[in-house]
Amino acid sequence: MAGPAPEPNTGGMAAEAPVLGTRDLAMVAGMWRYIAPHKSLFVASVALLPLISACLLVQPWIIKQAIDHCIAAGTTDGLGWWVLAYGVAFAAEFALLYWQTVITMLLAQRSLADLRLAIFRKITSMDTAFYDHNPVGRLVTRMTTDVDVINEMFAAGAITMLMDAMTLIGIIVIMFMLHAKLTMAAMATLPVMLILVDFFRRKARVFYRLIRDRIARINSYLQESISGMAVVHLFASEKHMSAEFGEMNSAYRDANHWSNIYEAALFSIVEAVSAISTAAILWYGAHLVIGEPTSLTSSTVAGAVGFGTLVAFMEYINRFFVPVRDFSTKYAVLQSAIAACEKVFGLLEMEPKLVNPTDPVPAPPRTGTIEFEDVWFSYIPGEPVLRGVSFRVGAGEHVAIVGATGSGKTTITKLLARFYDIDSGRILVDGVDVREWDLRDLRRRIVTVLQDVFLFSGTAAENVRLGNDNISDEEVRSAARAVHADRFLERLPEGYDAPVRERGNNFSTGQRQLLSFARALAYKPDILVLDEATSSVDHDTEELIQDAVARLQEGRTSLVIAHRLATIESADRIVVLHHGVLRESGTHEELMTLGGLYARLYLLQHDEETHPAPARPELVDEIA
Amino acid sequence: MGRLWNYMRRYRARYAVGGAALFATATLVMAIPKLTQMSFDVLAGDLPSDEKLRLVSGYALTVIFIAISQAVVRTWSRTLIFNAGRDVEHDLRGELYDHLLKLHQGYYQRQRTGDLMSRLVNDIGAVRMLLGPGFLTFINTPLYCVYAFTLMMWMDARLTLAAVVPFPIVLVYMRRYMKALMDASVRTQERLAEMSSFGQETLAGIHVVKSFSREEARARRFMELNELYKDQAMEVARLRAKIFPAIRAVSSLGVLIVLGLGGYEVVHKRMTLGALVAFMGYLQILAWPIMAVGFMIALWQRGKAALLRLDGIFDIEPGIASPASAYSPDTVRGNVTFEHVDFSHDGEDTTILHDITINIPAGTTLGILGRTGSGKSTIANLPPRLFDASKGRVLVDGVDVREWDLEKLRGAIGVVPQDPFLFSTTIARNVSFGSPNLSDAEMAVALETAGLGTDLADFPSGSSTPIGERGVTLSGGQKQRLTLARAVARTPRILILDDSLSSVDAATERRILESLDDLRRGRTAIVISHRVSSVIRADRIAVIDDGRIVEQGTHAELVQQGGLYADLWQRQRLTEELEAMA
Repeated sequence: MAGPAPEPNTGGMAAEAPVLGTRDLAMVAGMWRYIAPHKSLFVASVALLPLISACLLVQPWIIKQAIDHCIAAGTTDGLGWWVLAYGVAFAAEFALLYWQTVITMLLAQRSLADLRLAIFRKITSMDTAFYDHNPVGRLVTRMTTDVDVINEMFAAGAITMLMDAMTLIGIIVIMFMLHAKLTMAAMATLPVMLILVDFFRRKARVFYRLIRDRIARINSYLQESISGMAVVHLFASEKHMSAEFGEMNSAYRDANHWSNIYEAALFSIVEAVSAISTAAILWYGAHLVIGEPTSLTSSTVAGAVGFGTLVAFMEYINRFFVPVRDFSTKYAVLQSAIAACEKVFGLLEMEPKLVNPTDPVPAPPRTGTIEFEDVWFSYIPGEPVLRGVSFRVGAGEHVAIVGATGSGKTTITKLLARFYDIDSGRILVDGVDVREWDLRDLRRRIVTVLQDVFLFSGTAAENVRLGNDNISDEEVRSAARAVHADRFLERLPEGYDAPVRERGNNFSTGQRQLLSFARALAYKPDILVLDEATSSVDHDTEELIQDAVARLQEGRTSLVIAHRLATIESADRIVVLHHGVLRESGTHEELMTLGGLYARLYLLQHDEETHPAPARPELVDEIA
Repeated sequence: MGRLWNYMRRYRARYAVGGAALFATATLVMAIPKLTQMSFDVLAGDLPSDEKLRLVSGYALTVIFIAISQAVVRTWSRTLIFNAGRDVEHDLRGELYDHLLKLHQGYYQRQRTGDLMSRLVNDIGAVRMLLGPGFLTFINTPLYCVYAFTLMMWMDARLTLAAVVPFPIVLVYMRRYMKALMDASVRTQERLAEMSSFGQETLAGIHVVKSFSREEARARRFMELNELYKDQAMEVARLRAKIFPAIRAVSSLGVLIVLGLGGYEVVHKRMTLGALVAFMGYLQILAWPIMAVGFMIALWQRGKAALLRLDGIFDIEPGIASPASAYSPDTVRGNVTFEHVDFSHDGEDTTILHDITINIPAGTTLGILGRTGSGKSTIANLPPRLFDASKGRVLVDGVDVREWDLEKLRGAIGVVPQDPFLFSTTIARNVSFGSPNLSDAEMAVALETAGLGTDLADFPSGSSTPIGERGVTLSGGQKQRLTLARAVARTPRILILDDSLSSVDAATERRILESLDDLRRGRTAIVISHRVSSVIRADRIAVIDDGRIVEQGTHAELVQQGGLYADLWQRQRLTEELEAMA
């Protein structure tokens, strides 16, 4: 799975950059592409916000009315109505909040499911070179962890922040409407608070950065220690490692201690300011109440302040500070979501270099010919692996490629079905340059069987079919029969539906190979490209595999990176590669007579096969 | 769980003072509604105006005073408790790391790094949350509930009972949904895991997917898994939406009751308006601790599960350790002997080594030749006790390695492992990894011996150049030579090279082997390789095949014998000839 999850900031108040920059706007625009198809949900979610805010804001006002008109006025007339109104307001608030949450999450889940799918499609559409440079774990992280971080923004961030903003403004407006001077008194401490909060936040930010750096160091140190534990033991460096780690660990703790102080202060100041505002309301409110002695009985007089107003003010002030307190936490969520967006959209913007031609040539008639014309290829620019390789394979011809490790023979298998594009020259399949083929058509005609067999978790039959429902059960079975995979499959209790565990761990090397042959056969290719496996198998399996290879080649053109003498000797032609250059070509007899490279390679191979030890074709590679 | 109390006991002073500060904070918080009530009562009373103002101003000043002292005490309590949580985290991580350093290789072979990292990051984090914010919540929730409830009861028992009616109802409601929420969360995690392993597998097998043009079929299946996950995540979202607003509804419902019943009582002069306002204040104070109940339950369960998993790691005994009265001589001669050694990994049937018996006299070099998978690397792991033999004995200077002081034993052996593992630091720090007191001159010698002397000039800051993550900036050959320098720097009595020059070209290998000759003089060396060229200079050569020694002797003797060695020797010459035919 992916690497360790980043430490969640649980203390909150992890504010970062002060405002949204252009970078952030670009991310928002990127996200909008995925939200847009679910626009109605978005509209509903946002449209509910002012309603919820209104329900929230009306509650203190109702309390004020109940106090001023009934409770303080000494009459129970109408009290029931106000209580009912209060009940309706909060019931509505919660019902609306429920729906708003559900709708927002629905919006989030749908958009993010689309996003995940887009990422999946993008990363499976990249060219082979891309996978050489990007570890699988990191790509999966983009699809899962990063998308989850964006989800957090929906769950706890962006949209509720909008509501918080509405509520804050609403509170100030209502308070001003109720009594401007009292509002000023209640809000008098606000600037002081903002200055203090800003001061502590700046202080805390220094430590947040330290904390992030230090935890990252700890985690990479841990990861490295675990993977290199053998080296640690071999060099008896436990004490040294322990001391070094201890230092990092303490440095991390110390940074946290400091940030805890600032965070606690920040939290406490907001609470204190809220209490001081209450004091201000009491003090100034008392003057107002006493200044209008009649207000107790007739609070409807303009400018009069009754007890109800004081209570309402205290309620509003309480509601005012909750979003203020939560702001930083939500802002932190937003920030990490934007960072995740950046990574995800960065990936989505990548384009594979190797793409289907815009105007592919219609698939030519099936002949099954292959031509390499002066092919040059390099994985790393300037280090060619193939140097001007030319050869032709006629329809139905079997050609074996032979060469030592590093000769470039495996590379040839990757070029034919266009997993990489060549630097110069041409590769023709059925007379058409592979770059002009529709990739799907091309790969339908050519099946490449790689040396290390990859099986997907699922069943044996699914591994033959690979999700192609056009391949019938009978076809699966007959393909398996043809390559002798039926022998072990039919012995399994579940037969063709036998479960395959991750990477086919529950099958032997030989069995995995036969399964991959069945897979190749079931796709009925015109051209077979096979990189013969070198892993050692027992004698009986070896015979089965040899026979299966022959069956695979039957009736189609084949290009085989051959390691087995039987395969080589039965080939129509043998092509000998050496350091990326095609050195010799001809039948076994011809090349033996020539007495060149092939003759020497054959000697190596031949010696091995006459040696009493069980067949181990890998020796050629390993020793060379 | 005993571990939990141990840690709490270690920081009991902080927890005690922090807890007391929480109590003080709560007291101050509770005073504010009371002062509000007093102000309202004064204002509604029959005192003369200036007297009223004087009194209310006094109360307001008291509130300000309380607010400021509350800020101080609250900062203090939160800092103490959260810091204690960080202290426990620090100790736990440090102790776990020290424990991991002691665990043997057999453990690491079975363990995935990702799983261990998850223990170290997520589980320790969960414990920290439990002992920091968790502790605070555990104290505060009951404290605020009891405090506010008592004060309200004291003011008006009937109204209090009426106002708190919704509380138990919501607790029952929450219990039900919290359980459902947790189950749903677990299912969501499973779905996510399913989806990500599908993604992982697709990418791991991308060559197959592409060569059969199965991109669409994989995407379709991914879409199904994606949908399943989405639906499951929605279930969680729905439950959350039901639970959290409901908790908040409790205090609102309380306010509703107070407003109705309390209002009625105020009108009938059985209660003052001030008391009613105070009641509403207390209900507001109660809202937060009630909301925290769910948080508290979640923290407790997560923390407990994490602690149990961590206990599981702490309970693993290091399988390889120094014995009680360990053999620790002043000098090591360097005689290594294998006596009828069998080896198989714990719990596995396959025997990797069968009846290996070799004596390597001090100061001589043994070459071990074998193919990949022949078991030859396992031999390298036995003298330094990365693994212990399953049967038979490995002796150093005639003493069973299991009787040796482990540090002394390993200190006498320099191993260059097959996998050139380097740390993400500078060249110099990698070379001095096992020899902290290495002088600059000694470092230069080690680098020179390993054939890195000339390469050094190409690095921007010489030996203080960082080599990037595990040496990504180095070539395969450079990595191997650096691991060689690291072993050479220790000037070990016994040097073991485990196929450690496979990535360097033949000419460089020859040069390195020649420079090693000086170092090898007077030292014992075991050179393991699949290449005849690496072992050809050894005093004695053992050929391993399928876990057994099949041939033994000097190069000349083995060539003479005409067995596997002679065959490999022949083959190597052919290969060299082929190479030369460029």
